[in-house]
Amino acid sequence: MPDLDKLHGAVIEGDWKAAAAATQAAIAAGVTPLTIVTEYLVPAMDEVGRRFECEEYFVPEMLLSARAMKASMEIVRPLLVATGAEPVGRVVIGTVKGDLHDIGKNLVASMLEGGGFEVIDLGADVSPERFIEAATTRHANLVALSALLTVTMTSMKTTIDAFATAGLREKVKIMVGGAPVTQHYADAIGADGYGESAAAAVALARRLVAP
Amino acid sequence: MRLKLISCEVLFREMCDACAHSPHQVDLEFLPKGLHDLGGKPMSAKIQEAVDRTPAGNYEAILLGYGLCGNGLDGLTALHTRLVLPRAHDCIALLMGSRERYQAYFERNPGTYYQSTGWLERGKGLQQLTHQTVGIDEPLEALIRKYGEDNGRYLYGELTRYQSHYSKLTFIETGLEPSANFLAEAAAEASQKGWSFERLPGDLAWLRRMVEGEWAETEFVVAGPGQRIVASYDTGVLKVQG
Repeated sequence: MPDLDKLHGAVIEGDWKAAAAATQAAIAAGVTPLTIVTEYLVPAMDEVGRRFECEEYFVPEMLLSARAMKASMEIVRPLLVATGAEPVGRVVIGTVKGDLHDIGKNLVASMLEGGGFEVIDLGADVSPERFIEAATTRHANLVALSALLTVTMTSMKTTIDAFATAGLREKVKIMVGGAPVTQHYADAIGADGYGESAAAAVALARRLVAP
Repeated sequence: MRLKLISCEVLFREMCDACAHSPHQVDLEFLPKGLHDLGGKPMSAKIQEAVDRTPAGNYEAILLGYGLCGNGLDGLTALHTRLVLPRAHDCIALLMGSRERYQAYFERNPGTYYQSTGWLERGKGLQQLTHQTVGIDEPLEALIRKYGEDNGRYLYGELTRYQSHYSKLTFIETGLEPSANFLAEAAAEASQKGWSFERLPGDLAWLRRMVEGEWAETEFVVAGPGQRIVASYDTGVLKVQG
């Protein structure tokens, strides 16, 4: 049996080479891809999120852990797809129109991926039409909107309204986040949830897609 | 009137000039620009401290040289003296003279990085306190030292990628610049980053109206003792509660 605690540790320590090597060894030893994701990658990223919450980790450490997690996912993903395993949920994520900031959005995207979600990342400055198109064609059940500026926060409302106008509001859950965003604002614009941090976003996403 | 002005240092030259020309007696206090990097709640806590240590009965009003500033002024409460705050998203709107002008410019010029004398001489960007927590503006060598060669280079790439989203630098010229050095420095930075450059005339009339005591409802929120200033998420930017 390969030492899978090494994988867990490599993700937390942000060592992508060790994470990839441990994943290869696990696959070679017959560990299922789903086990690698649910029992090692997901708990490791949860721990990274916890360390960020208590300010033991900062953005650079999270980015490195995400990199290590992705190195493992690169190996596991094709195998997972081959088994026909369904992701926890399909999420379309992007920074809203007019806003070009993406570091926070990228972190949330990585954390969601590490949390077992299939993530469709549309980048920054994403129009409501692009969110709708991606959510429709990729059969997403969750849409995550990010903004860093109070000037562009209103694009979150425009995007949610556009989903309603397109008759798709009941088909997807919409969550919002970003430095100036608050629970109060999320409620005011009719979002289904607000995540205060990347870790909170993953917990929220799990709640929103729970059957 | 005797007024107290608590302002972000990014507006140092503009506020000093406006106060010098005000018919009122204005006492000035500047707070570090780096407060922005703390995030909304910690920033508003710091500004609330400055408001609360202003002695009671000394001033007709406490003026705030800020905007909503990423919710950094959200929830601010007037203790014993009324608070006056421009209905602006941030200092760029204040330097442009109106939120409508800022909004129109912002929409016409996506990917623009703004500068003024305060932005140039009071630290680059909003990153004074973010080196440790975000890593933005950390030089490559420092990241390599801390995280090793491979991870250091990776982080540098991730943390500087946002710059590729910008394509323009706009220098807001207020007329208070003592020399052409500020303009030249901004233009040089734009050229070094491969961005286009625009020199945009500022308009300080809005700031002046604040220190001159002309607080029209459309341009300012005024919160009396016990009332709170909160984000309104509409075109008025801010509103008063309580």
